[in-house]
Amino acid sequence: MPDPLDRLRLPVVAVEPRPEFAAALRRRLEGDVASDDSVVVRPTATVRYFVDDLDLAVAFYRDELDFDVEMQPSPAFAMLYRGELRLLLSTPAGHVLPDGAVPEPGGWNRMSLRVADLARTVEDLRRRGVRFRNEIVSSVGVHQILLQDPAGNLVELFEPTDGYHERT
Amino acid sequence: MGTVSVRYIVDDVDAAIGFYCGQLGFEEEMHPDPAFAMVRRDDLRLLLAAPIGADHRGGGSRPMPDGTIQQPGGWNRFRIELDDLDGAVGRLRQAGARFRNDVVTGVGGRQILVEDPAGNPVELFEPAGKRS
Repeated sequence: MPDPLDRLRLPVVAVEPRPEFAAALRRRLEGDVASDDSVVVRPTATVRYFVDDLDLAVAFYRDELDFDVEMQPSPAFAMLYRGELRLLLSTPAGHVLPDGAVPEPGGWNRMSLRVADLARTVEDLRRRGVRFRNEIVSSVGVHQILLQDPAGNLVELFEPTDGYHERT
Repeated sequence: MGTVSVRYIVDDVDAAIGFYCGQLGFEEEMHPDPAFAMVRRDDLRLLLAAPIGADHRGGGSRPMPDGTIQQPGGWNRFRIELDDLDGAVGRLRQAGARFRNDVVTGVGGRQILVEDPAGNPVELFEPAGKRS
Protein backbone atom coordinates (compact mmCIF):
# COMPACT_ATOMS: atom_id res chain seq x y z
CA MET A 1 0.00 0.00 0.00
CA PRO A 2 1.44 3.37 -0.95
CA ASP A 3 2.50 5.64 1.82
CA PRO A 4 -0.16 8.39 1.98
CA LEU A 5 2.60 10.86 2.76
CA ASP A 6 4.35 10.20 -0.56
CA ARG A 7 2.49 12.99 -2.30
CA LEU A 8 3.83 15.43 0.27
CA ARG A 9 7.44 14.52 -0.23
CA LEU A 10 9.71 16.92 -2.01
CA PRO A 11 11.63 16.17 -5.17
CA VAL A 12 14.97 14.54 -4.51
CA VAL A 13 17.47 17.35 -4.57
CA ALA A 14 20.66 18.35 -2.90
CA VAL A 15 20.44 21.75 -1.25
CA GLU A 16 24.04 22.81 -0.87
CA PRO A 17 25.87 24.42 -3.78
CA ARG A 18 28.65 22.40 -5.33
CA PRO A 19 32.07 23.38 -3.97
CA GLU A 20 33.19 24.57 -7.40
CA PHE A 21 30.09 26.73 -7.74
CA ALA A 22 30.65 28.19 -4.29
CA ALA A 23 34.23 28.99 -5.18
CA ALA A 24 33.18 30.63 -8.44
CA LEU A 25 30.52 32.63 -6.65
CA ARG A 26 33.05 33.88 -4.16
CA ARG A 27 35.39 34.94 -6.94
CA ARG A 28 32.59 36.84 -8.65
CA LEU A 29 31.60 38.58 -5.45
CA GLU A 30 35.06 39.52 -4.33
CA GLY A 31 36.75 40.19 -7.62
CA ASP A 32 38.92 37.70 -9.39
CA VAL A 33 40.94 36.65 -6.38
CA ALA A 34 42.95 33.50 -6.43
CA SER A 35 41.01 30.64 -4.93
CA ASP A 36 42.47 28.75 -2.03
CA ASP A 37 41.56 25.83 0.14
CA SER A 38 39.87 27.91 2.79
CA VAL A 39 37.01 29.08 0.62
CA VAL A 40 34.10 30.21 2.72
CA VAL A 41 30.74 30.49 1.06
CA ARG A 42 29.13 33.81 1.84
CA PRO A 43 25.72 33.69 3.40
CA THR A 44 22.75 33.44 1.13
CA ALA A 45 19.10 34.31 1.42
CA THR A 46 16.67 31.89 -0.13
CA VAL A 47 13.36 32.60 -1.85
CA ARG A 48 10.94 30.07 -3.35
CA TYR A 49 8.64 30.97 -6.26
CA PHE A 50 6.01 28.71 -7.75
CA VAL A 51 5.82 28.48 -11.52
CA ASP A 52 3.64 26.50 -13.90
CA ASP A 53 6.29 25.99 -16.58
CA LEU A 54 9.71 25.36 -15.10
CA ASP A 55 11.72 25.59 -18.33
CA LEU A 56 10.13 28.91 -19.24
CA ALA A 57 10.83 30.28 -15.80
CA VAL A 58 14.45 29.12 -15.73
CA ALA A 59 15.07 30.72 -19.13
CA PHE A 60 13.40 33.95 -18.00
CA TYR A 61 15.41 34.38 -14.82
CA ARG A 62 18.62 33.36 -16.59
CA ASP A 63 18.23 35.44 -19.73
CA GLU A 64 16.35 38.52 -18.53
CA LEU A 65 17.44 38.93 -14.92
CA ASP A 66 21.00 37.54 -14.93
CA PHE A 67 20.54 34.57 -12.65
CA ASP A 68 22.96 31.65 -12.85
CA VAL A 69 21.34 28.23 -13.09
CA GLU A 70 22.87 26.11 -10.37
CA MET A 71 20.81 22.98 -10.90
CA GLN A 72 17.64 21.67 -12.49
CA PRO A 73 17.61 18.12 -11.23
CA SER A 74 13.98 17.37 -12.00
CA PRO A 75 11.09 18.72 -14.08
CA ALA A 76 9.67 20.12 -10.84
CA PHE A 77 12.56 22.05 -9.37
CA ALA A 78 15.43 24.38 -10.21
CA MET A 79 17.89 26.39 -8.14
CA LEU A 80 19.34 29.66 -9.38
CA TYR A 81 21.64 32.30 -7.94
CA ARG A 82 21.97 36.06 -8.38
CA GLY A 83 24.64 37.36 -6.05
CA GLU A 84 23.62 36.23 -2.60
CA LEU A 85 20.05 35.49 -3.57
CA ARG A 86 19.25 31.83 -4.04
CA LEU A 87 16.02 31.39 -5.97
CA LEU A 88 14.16 28.10 -5.82
CA LEU A 89 11.66 27.55 -8.62
CA SER A 90 9.10 24.86 -7.91
CA THR A 91 6.09 23.51 -9.72
CA PRO A 92 3.04 23.07 -7.49
CA ALA A 93 2.67 19.28 -7.76
CA GLY A 94 5.30 18.39 -5.20
CA HIS A 95 3.96 20.83 -2.63
CA VAL A 96 0.31 19.89 -2.19
CA LEU A 97 -0.75 20.45 1.41
CA PRO A 98 -2.43 17.91 3.70
CA ASP A 99 -5.77 19.68 3.25
CA GLY A 100 -5.44 19.42 -0.52
CA ALA A 101 -4.48 23.05 -1.05
CA VAL A 102 -2.29 23.42 -4.13
CA PRO A 103 0.34 26.18 -4.24
CA GLU A 104 0.09 28.49 -7.20
CA PRO A 105 2.12 31.30 -8.76
CA GLY A 106 1.25 34.91 -8.10
CA GLY A 107 0.44 36.99 -5.08
CA TRP A 108 2.08 40.27 -4.13
CA ASN A 109 5.05 39.20 -2.04
CA ARG A 110 8.23 39.43 -4.02
CA MET A 111 11.98 39.65 -4.12
CA SER A 112 13.40 43.07 -4.82
CA LEU A 113 16.42 43.28 -7.11
CA ARG A 114 18.72 46.28 -7.11
CA VAL A 115 19.75 47.69 -10.49
CA ALA A 116 22.11 50.55 -11.29
CA ASP A 117 19.94 52.35 -13.84
CA LEU A 118 16.26 51.51 -13.53
CA ALA A 119 14.99 53.53 -16.51
CA ARG A 120 17.48 51.90 -18.83
CA THR A 121 16.89 48.43 -17.41
CA VAL A 122 13.14 48.82 -17.87
CA GLU A 123 13.60 50.04 -21.42
CA ASP A 124 15.83 47.08 -22.26
CA LEU A 125 13.46 44.58 -20.70
CA ARG A 126 10.40 46.06 -22.41
CA ARG A 127 12.18 45.77 -25.72
CA ARG A 128 12.78 42.11 -24.93
CA GLY A 129 9.09 41.58 -24.30
CA VAL A 130 9.07 41.48 -20.52
CA ARG A 131 5.70 42.44 -19.00
CA PHE A 132 5.45 45.07 -16.29
CA ARG A 133 2.64 45.37 -13.77
CA ASN A 134 2.96 49.12 -13.22
CA GLU A 135 5.07 52.12 -14.18
CA ILE A 136 8.14 53.37 -12.33
CA VAL A 137 7.17 54.68 -8.90
CA SER A 138 9.40 57.20 -7.12
CA SER A 139 9.24 57.31 -3.36
CA VAL A 140 11.43 57.67 -0.31
CA GLY A 141 14.92 56.44 -1.17
CA VAL A 142 14.12 54.45 -4.31
CA HIS A 143 12.68 54.34 -7.78
CA GLN A 144 10.94 51.02 -8.27
CA ILE A 145 8.78 48.99 -10.62
CA LEU A 146 7.12 45.57 -10.74
CA LEU A 147 7.63 43.12 -13.56
CA GLN A 148 6.03 39.73 -14.09
CA ASP A 149 7.73 36.45 -14.81
CA PRO A 150 6.11 34.06 -17.34
CA ALA A 151 4.05 32.45 -14.56
CA GLY A 152 2.76 35.80 -13.35
CA ASN A 153 4.98 36.13 -10.28
CA LEU A 154 6.10 39.63 -9.44
CA VAL A 155 9.71 40.79 -9.27
CA GLU A 156 10.48 44.25 -7.91
CA LEU A 157 13.35 46.20 -9.45
CA PHE A 158 14.71 49.19 -7.60
CA GLU A 159 17.32 51.88 -7.98
CA PRO A 160 18.49 53.68 -4.83
CA THR A 161 18.06 57.46 -4.72
CA ASP A 162 18.69 60.16 -2.12
CA GLY A 163 17.76 58.94 1.32
CA TYR A 164 18.23 55.26 0.51
CA HIS A 165 18.88 53.30 3.68
CA GLU A 166 22.05 51.24 3.75
CA ARG A 167 22.92 49.44 6.91
CA THR A 168 26.05 50.88 8.45
CA MET B 1 26.36 44.76 -1.33
CA GLY B 2 25.45 41.50 0.22
CA THR B 3 21.84 42.18 0.99
CA VAL B 4 18.88 40.36 -0.45
CA SER B 5 15.60 42.26 -0.26
CA VAL B 6 12.14 40.72 -0.08
CA ARG B 7 8.90 42.66 0.26
CA TYR B 8 5.91 41.19 2.07
CA ILE B 9 2.53 42.89 2.07
CA VAL B 10 0.95 42.88 5.54
CA ASP B 11 -2.23 44.40 6.88
CA ASP B 12 -0.74 45.32 10.28
CA VAL B 13 2.91 46.35 10.25
CA ASP B 14 3.24 46.41 14.04
CA ALA B 15 1.89 42.89 14.35
CA ALA B 16 4.28 41.78 11.63
CA ILE B 17 7.26 43.36 13.40
CA GLY B 18 6.22 41.58 16.57
CA PHE B 19 6.14 38.27 14.75
CA TYR B 20 9.33 38.53 12.72
CA CYS B 21 11.41 40.08 15.50
CA GLY B 22 9.77 38.29 18.40
CA GLN B 23 9.48 34.81 16.88
CA LEU B 24 11.85 34.48 13.95
CA GLY B 25 15.01 36.26 15.00
CA PHE B 26 14.76 39.40 12.86
CA GLU B 27 16.02 42.77 14.06
CA GLU B 28 14.08 45.94 13.44
CA GLU B 29 16.08 48.28 11.26
CA MET B 30 13.57 51.05 10.71
CA HIS B 31 9.88 51.74 11.14
CA PRO B 32 9.56 55.26 9.76
CA ASP B 33 5.89 55.09 8.88
CA PRO B 34 2.88 53.17 10.22
CA ALA B 35 2.68 51.47 6.83
CA PHE B 36 6.31 50.44 6.49
CA ALA B 37 9.10 48.71 8.36
CA MET B 38 12.44 47.20 7.46
CA VAL B 39 13.65 44.21 9.43
CA ARG B 40 16.76 42.13 8.91
CA ARG B 41 17.95 38.60 9.54
CA ASP B 42 21.51 37.91 8.40
CA ASP B 43 21.65 38.75 4.71
CA LEU B 44 17.91 38.99 4.26
CA ARG B 45 16.30 42.41 4.42
CA LEU B 46 12.55 42.05 4.75
CA LEU B 47 10.39 45.01 3.80
CA LEU B 48 7.02 44.92 5.55
CA ALA B 49 4.56 47.14 3.76
CA ALA B 50 0.87 47.74 4.32
CA PRO B 51 -1.34 48.73 1.38
CA ILE B 52 -1.28 52.51 0.97
CA GLY B 53 -2.98 55.10 -1.19
CA ALA B 54 -1.66 56.23 -4.55
CA ASP B 55 -0.53 59.55 -3.07
CA HIS B 56 1.28 58.10 -0.04
CA ARG B 57 4.96 59.05 0.22
CA GLY B 58 5.88 55.38 0.38
CA GLY B 59 5.96 53.68 -2.97
CA GLY B 60 6.23 49.92 -2.77
CA SER B 61 2.71 49.09 -1.71
CA ARG B 62 0.69 51.63 -3.67
CA PRO B 63 -2.19 50.36 -5.80
CA MET B 64 -1.47 49.39 -9.39
CA PRO B 65 -2.36 51.83 -12.18
CA ASP B 66 -5.49 49.75 -12.81
CA GLY B 67 -6.54 50.24 -9.18
CA THR B 68 -5.68 46.76 -7.93
CA ILE B 69 -4.79 46.78 -4.24
CA GLN B 70 -1.78 44.78 -3.08
CA GLN B 71 -2.68 42.11 -0.54
CA PRO B 72 -0.99 39.61 1.78
CA GLY B 73 -0.95 35.91 1.01
CA GLY B 74 0.03 33.71 -1.89
CA TRP B 75 2.59 30.91 -1.88
CA ASN B 76 5.87 32.53 -2.82
CA ARG B 77 8.06 32.96 0.21
CA PHE B 78 11.50 33.28 1.64
CA ARG B 79 13.15 30.50 3.60
CA ILE B 80 14.77 30.56 7.01
CA GLU B 81 17.31 27.82 7.63
CA LEU B 82 17.42 26.41 11.14
CA ASP B 83 19.50 23.84 12.97
CA ASP B 84 16.60 22.62 15.09
CA LEU B 85 13.32 22.67 13.21
CA ASP B 86 11.35 20.73 15.80
CA GLY B 87 12.44 23.07 18.56
CA ALA B 88 11.46 26.11 16.53
CA VAL B 89 8.10 24.62 15.60
CA GLY B 90 7.41 23.83 19.25
CA ARG B 91 8.20 27.37 20.33
CA LEU B 92 6.13 28.87 17.54
CA ARG B 93 3.15 26.64 18.30
CA GLN B 94 3.38 27.63 21.94
CA ALA B 95 3.35 31.27 20.87
CA GLY B 96 0.17 30.63 18.91
CA ALA B 97 1.63 30.73 15.40
CA ARG B 98 -0.39 29.14 12.61
CA PHE B 99 1.10 26.50 10.33
CA ARG B 100 -0.18 25.56 6.90
CA ASN B 101 1.10 22.00 7.08
CA ASP B 102 3.11 19.61 9.20
CA VAL B 103 6.83 18.97 8.86
CA VAL B 104 7.60 17.49 5.44
CA THR B 105 10.74 15.43 4.90
CA GLY B 106 12.64 15.35 1.64
CA VAL B 107 16.16 14.26 0.86
CA GLY B 108 17.43 17.84 1.04
CA GLY B 109 15.99 18.47 4.44
CA ARG B 110 12.84 18.96 6.49
CA GLN B 111 10.52 21.90 6.21
CA ILE B 112 7.26 23.45 7.31
CA LEU B 113 5.24 26.53 6.41
CA VAL B 114 4.39 28.98 9.16
CA GLU B 115 2.15 32.00 8.59
CA ASP B 116 2.82 35.52 9.75
CA PRO B 117 -0.08 37.44 11.35
CA ALA B 118 -1.17 38.67 7.91
CA GLY B 119 -1.27 35.15 6.48
CA ASN B 120 1.96 35.25 4.49
CA PRO B 121 3.91 31.99 4.38
CA VAL B 122 7.45 31.61 5.68
CA GLU B 123 9.34 28.39 4.93
CA LEU B 124 11.29 27.02 7.88
CA PHE B 125 13.94 24.59 6.72
CA GLU B 126 16.39 22.30 8.43
CA PRO B 127 19.02 21.01 6.00
CA ALA B 128 19.60 17.25 5.99
CA GLY B 129 22.58 16.23 8.00
CA LYS B 130 22.12 18.89 10.66
CA ARG B 131 20.33 16.56 13.08
CA SER B 132 22.31 14.49 15.50
